[in-house]
Amino acid sequence: MSEQYKILHPVKYYRDYLAHNIRPDGREFDKYRPIVVNLGSISTADGSAIAKVGRTTVVCGIKAELCQSKAEAANEGFLIPNVELPPLCSSKFRPGPPTEQAQVATQLVADILKNSECLDLKSLCIFPDKLAWCLFADLICLDLDGSLIDACMIALMAALKSVRLPVIDYDPALDNKQANLEHRKPLNITNIPSSTTFAKFDDKIVMDPTVDEEDLSTALITIALRKNELCFVHKPGGASVTDEQLLKCIDESQKRAIVIEGIVETALRSLQ
Amino acid sequence: MPIDHKRINGPEITIPYQLFDKLNTKSGKSQFKDFVKSNGVRIDGRSANDHRKIFLKTGVVSQAKGSAYIELDKTKVIVSVFNPREIPNKSEYSSKGEIYCEFKYAPFSCHKRRLHQQDPEELQYSAIMKQALESAVSRHEFPNFQVDIYALVLHNDGAALSAAITVAGVALAHAGIPMYDLITSVTLAVQGEFVLVDPNLEEERLCQVPLFKDEQNTNHGIVVLSMLATHEQVSQFYQTGNLAMDNLTSAIETLTNAAKDIVVLVKKCLVRHVIKSARNVED
Amino acid sequence: MALCEAEKTFVLHGVEENFRIDGREREDYRPMELETNIVSHAFGSARLRLANTDVLVAVKIEVDVPYPERPREGKLEFFVDCSANATPDFEGRGGEDLAVEISNSLAGAYRSPEVFDLTKLCILKGRKCWKIFVDILLLECGGNLYDAVSIAVKAALWDTRIPLVKSVTVDGNNIDMEVSEELHDCQKLDVTGAPIMVTVCKIGEQCIVDPSAAEELCSVGALVISVSRNKFSTILQTGSGSLHPQTLLECLQTGHKVAQRLHDALIETLVDIKPSENSVGFLR
Repeated sequence: MSEQYKILHPVKYYRDYLAHNIRPDGREFDKYRPIVVNLGSISTADGSAIAKVGRTTVVCGIKAELCQSKAEAANEGFLIPNVELPPLCSSKFRPGPPTEQAQVATQLVADILKNSECLDLKSLCIFPDKLAWCLFADLICLDLDGSLIDACMIALMAALKSVRLPVIDYDPALDNKQANLEHRKPLNITNIPSSTTFAKFDDKIVMDPTVDEEDLSTALITIALRKNELCFVHKPGGASVTDEQLLKCIDESQKRAIVIEGIVETALRSLQ
Repeated sequence: MPIDHKRINGPEITIPYQLFDKLNTKSGKSQFKDFVKSNGVRIDGRSANDHRKIFLKTGVVSQAKGSAYIELDKTKVIVSVFNPREIPNKSEYSSKGEIYCEFKYAPFSCHKRRLHQQDPEELQYSAIMKQALESAVSRHEFPNFQVDIYALVLHNDGAALSAAITVAGVALAHAGIPMYDLITSVTLAVQGEFVLVDPNLEEERLCQVPLFKDEQNTNHGIVVLSMLATHEQVSQFYQTGNLAMDNLTSAIETLTNAAKDIVVLVKKCLVRHVIKSARNVED
Repeated sequence: MALCEAEKTFVLHGVEENFRIDGREREDYRPMELETNIVSHAFGSARLRLANTDVLVAVKIEVDVPYPERPREGKLEFFVDCSANATPDFEGRGGEDLAVEISNSLAGAYRSPEVFDLTKLCILKGRKCWKIFVDILLLECGGNLYDAVSIAVKAALWDTRIPLVKSVTVDGNNIDMEVSEELHDCQKLDVTGAPIMVTVCKIGEQCIVDPSAAEELCSVGALVISVSRNKFSTILQTGSGSLHPQTLLECLQTGHKVAQRLHDALIETLVDIKPSENSVGFLR
């Protein structure tokens, strides 16, 4: 019976739950879903991770290739993140070019990476103006059940942490390169930025929404943090949020950021 | 190439670092000998007719009607199937439903980075997948509708196409799409007198070219065969390379037997799903 | 075209009796018409008409850089263009899938070095090679495309002449090539191994080749078999049906036999074709 009720009157169904201070999946408002991280299961990639936030699954594979650096930034390499929402992950998508949601997610992830300064692009340079690393970080969503950015950030950071790049011997005079595949080095990742998504419904704010909650909500807020510092806040329109609510969200995401960092570090230790 | 404005693009020219590995001077023949000893035992300890360990799981994508995931050792493929929807851009009525298949390698799944758009190989594999699955699905049950099947290879370590076909069959069953039969698919790699069931990527690569030319044996190639289990029908057959008639005859026999071996696993996996969903109803 | 059950039975009985509706036996082709060297600014060209199917193939050659992972090899690429004139189904993007399918199966059939030796196209290892573009234009579509295309491609490659490279000089990163100025100074390609594709159609209990449109409707499945020098280079199943393994083998045997006959006949014809003043109709 509840299934039919949910389909026919989704808003009323949800409101009834919230009136009793509980969400349809049994969580309280400020509880997030379990997080699972699996590292290094794809050996064709130079670094890889799978992150699950509840049922939302994102797999990140990082492929490193050699290239020439940009003329305007001769001593920097590249880190190119791309979020892919293939039709596989949800019935909302059809084959074709990236949807708006995928483009927004890609830009958000790129901005969080840039603002957090977790990876110095200069460390990806092998020889100024001649040779640099280009890291293609492809994030593919396998199951879309809300809070996409959170899962993407966890997968991306875990994958970056697991990257091992070979040492390249470069002779600039002869333009001769030699890769030393046995001798590999990790990247210098200085911090692990993470994000937390909130959804506003009526005047209540729920943490880590599922896709149903996201669709019903009147506003979404994504807060990205580096340690205790804010590095990105994303609230694309929608209903207004009061100051206290926003501060409370930031407070909650700070607590979660510490947990996420712990999970990524634990996963890394199990890899070694 | 036109610029893709909907993604973040890297520099125009990038080169995989693997090309600058200290030169590998080994000939293809001795590389092959490394992988397969003369008594037919392979590098991972399998004999020529052995499958790799197979892991099958249904219901991995919560948003899809049906989904399944397969691992052939390192090869990993995920497939999801969606509810039938009306065939887009079609005016006349078709008495049989259609299936749409999309086969895609994840950009990081192969040695060489794949691009985001489907390349010709992926398009061809999509067509082969469709051909294989069409005869397994009771298409008259959903006239004028289309079932979408998306396969994504997360890690390609050989036999990705047949893994995708097998797991797509499981995903279709999981989605409750009416089907005539279970479908299983197997890849075979041939090099000289060696015939390897379920090859890994290196074996597949080494079977692209003849290595035993001096021994007057230029047989080489890849054969993929999909079988409908109970009806004993070949729903799809695909071969490349250069093979003689008698080679092919024995290859087909090996493949039909190998395809039968997997059926048990597929059945077990589906039974597990049925028991689980029956329990949920009881609760 | 739609057939009623009675018509289908008629076709089927004809096939059983080895006397098809147009009077052919099961392993007979319809008449073919082949011309070579008809596109003057291509390096090689051929046009084939098989009953109502009309295919024009032109070969272009360019100097290119080999793939870094295969420095000793040249390149060979196929492009199929399904002109909307061929059949109304090709209008808009209708022919795209078919075009991809045909060009992929050709690429698959030519991939093995036993079939077509790409190392012959290498000029300087890792630096310069010939790249052959094979452009296939479907002018009219009357069924049995794979067979017609493969024959036309083989004939066009036979007709192709590659300019002779007289000398290559390397100076640091610069490579200078000198191509013989003499027009008739050129190499021919070795196409004896170029595959012939045969579509074998299963009707009732029998296999037939070169099905007409009516016969195509009666068949549930077909195999495209490409044979090069006695061996199979690609096999592709088409249509929505399935086959018993034994039937599959029978189809392969038939295809193998027919492809061989077709190959011999084609080579004989190609040797016979002499440049003549009063060639037949097309494009002149």
